[in-house]
Amino acid sequence: MSRSDAVRLEHATRTYNRDGFEVCALDNVTLAIPVHSFVGIMGPSGSGKTTLLNLITGIDHPSSGHVSVGGEDITGMDENALADWRARHIGLVFQFYNLIPVLTAFENIELPLLLTDLSRAERRAHVEAALEAVGLAERTKHYPRQLSGGQEQRVAIARAIVADPTIVVADEPTGDLDAKSAEEILTLLAELNRRHKKTIVMVTHDSRAERFVDTIFRLDKGVFVGAENSLIRGGGR
Amino acid sequence: MKFTTLVLKNLLRSKRRTILTVLSIAISLFIFSALVSLPTVANHVLADSASSVRIACRTKMGLAYPLPEAYKSKIAATPHVVAVTPDNFFGGIYHEVSDQFPNIAVDPELVDVMWPDWGFSPGGVEEFKKLRTACLVAEGTMKRFHLNVGQQIQLRGAGYYPFNMSMTIVGTVAHGPAPSFLMFRRDYLEEIEGRPGRVDNFWVRADSSRAVPEIIQAVNSQFANSSAETQCDSEAVFLGGIIGRFRTFFTLARILGLIVVVTIGLVAANAAAMSIRERRNEIAVMRSIGFRSPLILRLLIAESVVTALAGCVLGCGAAFALLKVFSVTSDVLGPFVGAIQIPPAVLLQTLLAALLIGLLSSYVPARSAVRRKIVDALRMVD
Repeated sequence: MSRSDAVRLEHATRTYNRDGFEVCALDNVTLAIPVHSFVGIMGPSGSGKTTLLNLITGIDHPSSGHVSVGGEDITGMDENALADWRARHIGLVFQFYNLIPVLTAFENIELPLLLTDLSRAERRAHVEAALEAVGLAERTKHYPRQLSGGQEQRVAIARAIVADPTIVVADEPTGDLDAKSAEEILTLLAELNRRHKKTIVMVTHDSRAERFVDTIFRLDKGVFVGAENSLIRGGGR
Repeated sequence: MKFTTLVLKNLLRSKRRTILTVLSIAISLFIFSALVSLPTVANHVLADSASSVRIACRTKMGLAYPLPEAYKSKIAATPHVVAVTPDNFFGGIYHEVSDQFPNIAVDPELVDVMWPDWGFSPGGVEEFKKLRTACLVAEGTMKRFHLNVGQQIQLRGAGYYPFNMSMTIVGTVAHGPAPSFLMFRRDYLEEIEGRPGRVDNFWVRADSSRAVPEIIQAVNSQFANSSAETQCDSEAVFLGGIIGRFRTFFTLARILGLIVVVTIGLVAANAAAMSIRERRNEIAVMRSIGFRSPLILRLLIAESVVTALAGCVLGCGAAFALLKVFSVTSDVLGPFVGAIQIPPAVLLQTLLAALLIGLLSSYVPARSAVRRKIVDALRMVD
């Protein structure tokens, strides 16, 4: 594995047993995602995109093969070790935001910091910086139900970056948003990648994403079919 | 401490459900602590009288049958006996039936020797010995009916004594057998009744607690095979005999208390299971951002424990207040009434019951939620 790889999968295969039938969600995938890159993973439904993300974030294990993130092989880690590792290295953004409804925007973003040794004042400073980065500094006391979809996704992104993870992983972050909000979220992710040097791996169906990412990895029926540099983005940036 | 906000906010997620759960736990623990207190109170009364040097002598046939007054001098002649005081249960009513309190007639000569621990008011016993119509009244009764020393009162006779008794209050009793209580002179009762020589019970005081068994043996032997055989017991056994009539009730009370707690434990478990089930997705999100399963398990259990403890505080507070009111207003429990309260041991048991409800009701659903695969809970499989 190269030192410049943020993520590397080597012959990663994931099979499930569904009602007695073996389903291969990911088939012998080998790929590398460079540090500080913004990668889009695209493919039709059932192509294994989310399974790939689950392996990268350690919330699922490969049936065979290896997954390394930030130079660390996470394949053999137990659940507790993986939780600690995710707290330090992974920022997750979900399609449906997955904010805790009883917590304010501030408290949602603070959640990953509760797992650190930071003082209350330090946590506040980190949360305010994250809110500033996503352009929601004035919405700290709002509950998720008081925010629009785009704003909720911004809070989710702030939660993903607040602990300064090695890699931000986004699963269809624009899938539940209107065109304008989707454009804003993609712009925000691109800025996080460019200004804050975050490695971002994003699963998407959204063809607009091609303008924002460095590289597109394509999957089909669980097989990695190739990577392509985004010429559109290169030109537009 | 940094997770306190998270726990409290999750508790207030469904305010109605939390309030109803707290109330159901409060009611169950209220019933539990009140019911479990009763036998403990009885044991407390017995423990207080365990080292007493007083002996109660009645007929073998039971308290309803009298003894001859002539036994007094014979018992007094028994070695180690310091004092003998006969008494009769008058059972009079002051004003209304609901105003009833224990009232007995005693020989006045040795009341201060027989009951030096009762806290007679200064000069009260001297007046009691001088005035034939005198009575000594418990401080609780004085307060309850706004009575004063020197005041005349009348007790309405009922049952065995179908006549009224007018008497003058000459002093008070601070620590009698019940908070509400009255004692008057037996010679006055016999005069009004016109049938002297009958005694319901003899109180005998020994010179030491070690002499009590010897005196009991001597008195019972002395009157064996007579027309009125005696049944003498130490004060503790005498009270134990009265309390013994309630033993079955106390056992039922304990069982009932446990059944209520177990039932409400199941209700709390159902509420916890529903609450956790609704949050399976959130629990998966928390795990995916780095929360370890054991930490989430502890947070979920903490929510349940806080709910149960809130119920415990409410339930114990209500039981404490109720028993306090009960002990002030009720006289029907006689010697028990002064001791009616929630003992520290019962408070501890109730607290443990609350902790168990909190722990057990949430453990199974919480454990199940944190053991579920994150991907399944998130439904992220593409």
